[in-house]
Amino acid sequence: MTDYVSTLSIDIGLIGPELALLIAAAVILLLIFTRKADRFATAIGLIGLVVSMVLTVRQWDVKVGGFSGMVTVDQFAVLFKLLFAVASGLTLLLAERYFHAKHIARPEFTALLLVSTMGMMVMAGTTDLIVIFLGLEIMSVPLYVMAGFNRRSLESNESGIKYFIMGAFATGFLLMGIALIYGASETTDLRRIVTDFSYIATNAKLFLFTGAALMMVGFGFKVGAVPFHSWIPDVYQGAPTPVTAFFSVAPKAAGFAALLRIFAYGLKDLGALSDVWWILAVLTMTVGNILALRQENVKRMLAYSSIAHAGYMLVALAVGGADAASAVIFYLIGYTLFNLGGFTVVALLETRAGSRADFSEMAGLSKAHPYLTATLALFMFSLSGFPPTVGFFGKFYLFSAAVKGGFIWLTVIGVMNSFVSVYYYLRVVKVSYFDQIEGRFVPAPLSAGVLFVLIVTAVGTLGFGLFPDNVLEIARRAIQAFA
Amino acid sequence: MEAVQPNVGFVFGLFAAIIITSALLVVTLKNIFHCALALIVCLTGVAGIFVLLHAEFLAAVQVLIYVGAVSVLIIFSVMLTSNLASRRIVQTNQNALVAGFAALIFGAGALLLLKLHDIWPKAGSALPDDNVMTIGKLLMTDYMLPFEVVSVLMLAAMIGAIVLARGERS
Repeated sequence: MTDYVSTLSIDIGLIGPELALLIAAAVILLLIFTRKADRFATAIGLIGLVVSMVLTVRQWDVKVGGFSGMVTVDQFAVLFKLLFAVASGLTLLLAERYFHAKHIARPEFTALLLVSTMGMMVMAGTTDLIVIFLGLEIMSVPLYVMAGFNRRSLESNESGIKYFIMGAFATGFLLMGIALIYGASETTDLRRIVTDFSYIATNAKLFLFTGAALMMVGFGFKVGAVPFHSWIPDVYQGAPTPVTAFFSVAPKAAGFAALLRIFAYGLKDLGALSDVWWILAVLTMTVGNILALRQENVKRMLAYSSIAHAGYMLVALAVGGADAASAVIFYLIGYTLFNLGGFTVVALLETRAGSRADFSEMAGLSKAHPYLTATLALFMFSLSGFPPTVGFFGKFYLFSAAVKGGFIWLTVIGVMNSFVSVYYYLRVVKVSYFDQIEGRFVPAPLSAGVLFVLIVTAVGTLGFGLFPDNVLEIARRAIQAFA
Repeated sequence: MEAVQPNVGFVFGLFAAIIITSALLVVTLKNIFHCALALIVCLTGVAGIFVLLHAEFLAAVQVLIYVGAVSVLIIFSVMLTSNLASRRIVQTNQNALVAGFAALIFGAGALLLLKLHDIWPKAGSALPDDNVMTIGKLLMTDYMLPFEVVSVLMLAAMIGAIVLARGERS
C-alpha cells in the first residue's frame, strides 16, 4: 500500500483557513452545554474567523495545488475566502444583538454559520467540479437551517422550507450538469478541461453545451438570477434579518466565485454562451428593479434589489475576459460591504418590538438617530450607484468593461436600470428624513458589535469609493490566477 | 462465464418493466404507505440495472442508501405522522394534464435526439472486474479530500436537523 501513500500530497497548511473554521465550530459544539454558551459561541466564532483570515492572507503569494489537485490555492481563492470571512464575521456581530433582542439566542447558530463559510471557502479554493459541488452543499445545508432559525415565526419556517426545496431542486440541475461535463471530458478537473478543450469541444459538443446549460441553471438559482429567482423574496423576508444579510452577500459571492472559475476559466472558449448570459443579465436586472419599485417592506425591497445587483454582475459573464472578471470581483467586494450595511440598519430597526421593517416605520428616523440615518443614506446612495461611493465605481468598471467588449446595448440597458433603481433606494432616504410620524419614534439601542459593523461597512463603502484603483488592482491580480 | 451469459436485452427489459410499473404506481396509488412500498421496488429495480452494467459499487450504494435508508425514512415519517397512512390522498391537481403533456414532449424530444445523433461517448474498454476495489483505492488516495469533506456535510446536516427538531429549551 505504500505506493499509494507516497503519491498523496497531504499539506495541511493549504487548507488552514477552512480547518480553523471547522475547529472553531467543533469547539462551540463541544462547549454548548455550558452556561452563557451564546456569549462563548460568538467569541470563539470570531476568533476562528480572525485566525482563518490571517491564515488566508498568508497564502496570498502562494500558488500551488494539493491533495491530488483537489485544492488550489491562488490569489483568486484567497480574495474570495477573505470576503466570505469578513461577511461571516460582520453577520456574527450583527446576529448576536438581533437574536438577543428577539429571544432566539442559540449557540448552534454560530457553528452553522462557520460551517457554511467553510463550505464557501472550499468552493472558491478548487478547480475540481466535485469539490465545488461539495463546497456548495456544505454552504447550503446550514443556510437552509439558518433561514428557519426563528422557529416561533411562521414566516421563518416558510423561509427555511422554501429555500430548502428550491435549493435541493437547483442542486439536482447542477449535479446533472457536472455529470454531463464529466461524460464529455472524462474529467472533473477544470484545468484538464482547459488543456484538452479543443478535443472535447469537437468530440462532445452537445454534451458540453447541455452540461454547461444545466450548471447555469444550478448556479442561477444560487445567485438569484431571473427566471430562477422566485424563492428569493419570501426567503429573504421570512429569515431573521442578519441571516438575510448574510444570504444576500456571501452565498452570492460564492456562487459568482464558482461561476467565474467555471465559465470565465474552465469553459471560456465555449462560444454562444455569451448570448445566454446576455439575456439572463438583462432579465435579472430589469425584473429585479421593476418588482422592487412596488414594495412596501424594506426587507422585501432589498431582496428584489439583490436580484437586480446579481443582474449587473451577470453582465461580466456575458462580456467575458479579464477586465470584466476583475470588475465583477470589485463589484462583489463593494456590494458585500454596502448591502450588509443596509441590512444592518434594517436589522437594528427591527429589534424594536412589533417592527416588521415596513417603509412607513422609517418615518422620523432622522430625528431619533441622525448619524444612523446618515449611514443608511450612504448605503442607499452606494446601492443606487452615486459617486464617490464604491457602488458607483463597481458599476463604472463593469459597464466600461462591457463597452470595451462591444456590448453597447447591454450597457445602455444596465445604466437605464440603475436610474430606475434610484427611485426606490432614495425612497428610503426620503421617508427617513422628511416623512412625519404621529407620536414618538421608538429608538433602537445600538450595541458595540452593531456599531462596529456599521463603521466597517460605512468606512469601506466610502473608503473603497475614494481609492478604487487599489481595490481594482487586487481584483486584477486575483484574475491573473486564470492565466 | 460465457456459457451462463443470460440474454442481456431480456434482463434489461425485465428490470425496465419493473421500474416503470412501480414508478407509475408511486405517483398514482391512493395510499401513501403503498406508494412508499412501490418506491422501494422501483429503486431495487434500478440497482438491478446497475448490476447488469457491471457497476457493482453503485448497485450496493443504491440498495444501502435508497432502498435501505431513504425508503425506511419515508415509511417511518408516514407512520409517525398521525393518520397519514390510513388517509386517501389525491396525487393530481389541475396541472396534471399540462405537466403530463410537457413530460411527453420532452421525452419524445430526447428520444428523437438520441435516434438522430449518436452523441454518447463510448467507454474505451470494458470495466475491470475489480472496479469496486479501484473505486475504494481512489477514494482513499486521489479523492481523499472530497471524501473527508463529505463528513463535514453530514455533520452540518445533523446539527441542523437537531436544531430544527428538538423542543424549546426552558
